[in-house]
Amino acid sequence: MSKLTLRNFLGKNKDALAAVVTLLEELNAAVFIEDLEGHLLVGKTFDAPAHQYELVAGEELLGYVKGDEKAFIVSKLFSVILAKESEKKKLGNEVLNVYQELNLIFNFSERLAEAIEPGIIAQIALDEARHLIEASAGMVLLQNERKESLELLASFGDLFFGSSEFQNKSGLLFNILKGAQPEIISDFSEIIGEGSSNYPIKELIYAPLKVKQRVMGVIILANDQPVLYTAGHLKLLTTLALQSSSAIDSALLYEKNICEVREREEAMKRIHEVTNKFVPYEFIHALGKEVLTDVKLGDQTEKIVTVLFTDIRDYTTLAEKMTPEENFSFISYINELLGPIVHEFHGFIIQYLGDAIMAIFPGKAMDSVAAAVAIQRAVEIFNSEQVLKKLPAIQVGIGMHTGPLIMGIIGDGHRLAPAMISDTVNTAARIESLTKFYKADILLSEATLQALDNQEDFLFRYLGLVQLKGKKAPTGIFECFSGNKENDLKKKMATLGTFNEGLSFYLNKSFVKAASAFHNVIEIHPDDHTAKLFLSKAAKYISAEVPENWTGVEEMIIK
Amino acid sequence: MSQKLLIVDDEPHIRMLIEQTLEELEDEDVDFLTADNGETALEIICTEKPKLVFLDVMMPKMNGMEVCRKVKKELAVDGTYIILLTAKGQELDKQKGLEVGADLYMTKPFDPEALLKKAKEVLGLE
Repeated sequence: MSKLTLRNFLGKNKDALAAVVTLLEELNAAVFIEDLEGHLLVGKTFDAPAHQYELVAGEELLGYVKGDEKAFIVSKLFSVILAKESEKKKLGNEVLNVYQELNLIFNFSERLAEAIEPGIIAQIALDEARHLIEASAGMVLLQNERKESLELLASFGDLFFGSSEFQNKSGLLFNILKGAQPEIISDFSEIIGEGSSNYPIKELIYAPLKVKQRVMGVIILANDQPVLYTAGHLKLLTTLALQSSSAIDSALLYEKNICEVREREEAMKRIHEVTNKFVPYEFIHALGKEVLTDVKLGDQTEKIVTVLFTDIRDYTTLAEKMTPEENFSFISYINELLGPIVHEFHGFIIQYLGDAIMAIFPGKAMDSVAAAVAIQRAVEIFNSEQVLKKLPAIQVGIGMHTGPLIMGIIGDGHRLAPAMISDTVNTAARIESLTKFYKADILLSEATLQALDNQEDFLFRYLGLVQLKGKKAPTGIFECFSGNKENDLKKKMATLGTFNEGLSFYLNKSFVKAASAFHNVIEIHPDDHTAKLFLSKAAKYISAEVPENWTGVEEMIIK
Repeated sequence: MSQKLLIVDDEPHIRMLIEQTLEELEDEDVDFLTADNGETALEIICTEKPKLVFLDVMMPKMNGMEVCRKVKKELAVDGTYIILLTAKGQELDKQKGLEVGADLYMTKPFDPEALLKKAKEVLGLE
């Protein structure tokens, strides 16, 4: 606050000046007014005035009224006006101080509102405190929920309390929190005596961070020089503590909420991951849903898909030699081997049926055929490992069929299950079981073959028509031998023409020619069990009577 | 030669606060003038030609924007630096303030230090 001077007062208050001049004239007084430096401000100066009176505002001397005896009354009146002016000035200054604080708090709140992290809020509070209160170091400490230790939220300067003090329940910091009152410690040497700190601190000022009577932490400022903290400082620090504690509290709550939400999301994700393993995502997706929880009883969709079945041939015989545990881990091993292949070719496994797998390829039929070939290759590698381990090799039969399929959710209010309701599934399963009959590794229906837009990428042999149980029309069956062992594959390719001829003769009841053709195939490829099957059939019809209605269609009554 | 400074606000405590904030300028031979409405402010600006005017926006009779527009656009008064003062939260005024020719725009509650610094700068008293 700048000092009140006579010159400034009269300069600013023209009315007061005019009043004083009028007063002197009316009184007809030979009086003049000077400031402390002897500058004439009002009236006419003359030498050796008889009287001289002081002009005082409160207790402050501002100038003199000099002249005749009337100088007394002038000084009295003028002093009253000046006292009022001085009071007004003091008041104005106090109001300005309050306003300054208000402005600081306003800005502080604004900065706080922009921050959502407890550490940042604490740092803002420290910055603001440091701006208002001289300090060489400062820290904001937070008490953990069980009130067992303190956490450093923000700081500047040297850490004047070591981390050991954060755990020391009988130490100064815990006492400060227990006291829960803002305080100034001006003689810090006393406290050092208690062994709290080795830092050269001369003075401390602190205020607790309180929310609803609960002490959550403390903001502490320290100085390595004696500064003589005042009640005013304490009031400011308390205000900052009050403002920041509720902000920190909200921020902590927010953080906790965010954490909980994240945990819940994680848990949901894990649940989805698990449920996806039980009910494939593709299945849910096909129903037009994103997650299993969206699926409800009666949801269904119809699509043209290729259904693929795999089965380990003669598994029962194999299983008899294993313990149940060995059995389980063997099946698991095979499933872990084949599952990823199905996935790789955009299919998904809808069911594991013991040693069998049922997979669906919702996209192109070629995916299914390519997967089947890849599975046979994988089995071949598996077998070579088995041989090394002196363990039995396995044979996997794969059958597939393409057709419409309804996927849906069946069950009741208490129990739901994904289900495939389709004749396509039955047909595919029956074609798979035909692999044993034809001694072929991969069989597909004519429907699947026709659905392929890249037949030339695979090697096929036509095996004739089969009357599947419960079907009106016979189904054309093809063998795909692209996945066979190299030796087998080459020989089948070499004999493909002869084989096709043989089959053609056979279906036309030219059994002698057919037998001859198949015989030629076997000459080149003695392990062609399919050719052997047709040879023995042809041989049978050569010697026995052929039924009148014989069409070459195989009646399948199994399954 | 003394310089003149005008404080215009309808709220007496704001006028007092600005005066108190700038009181050290009295020692630099700066004359303080005050007005509590836009009309009086316009009159004083025309007759006294203050070098610096703190002008509140929300005022009865003639608001600060209008005073500013008249001074800067219609009368084209030269050498008067006008600082518009508005309450926080009315920041929309900023664009308008610049449109009516204000030299600076400050919000209330103002930062006393910044206010004094700006006044010294405008009056060439740094």
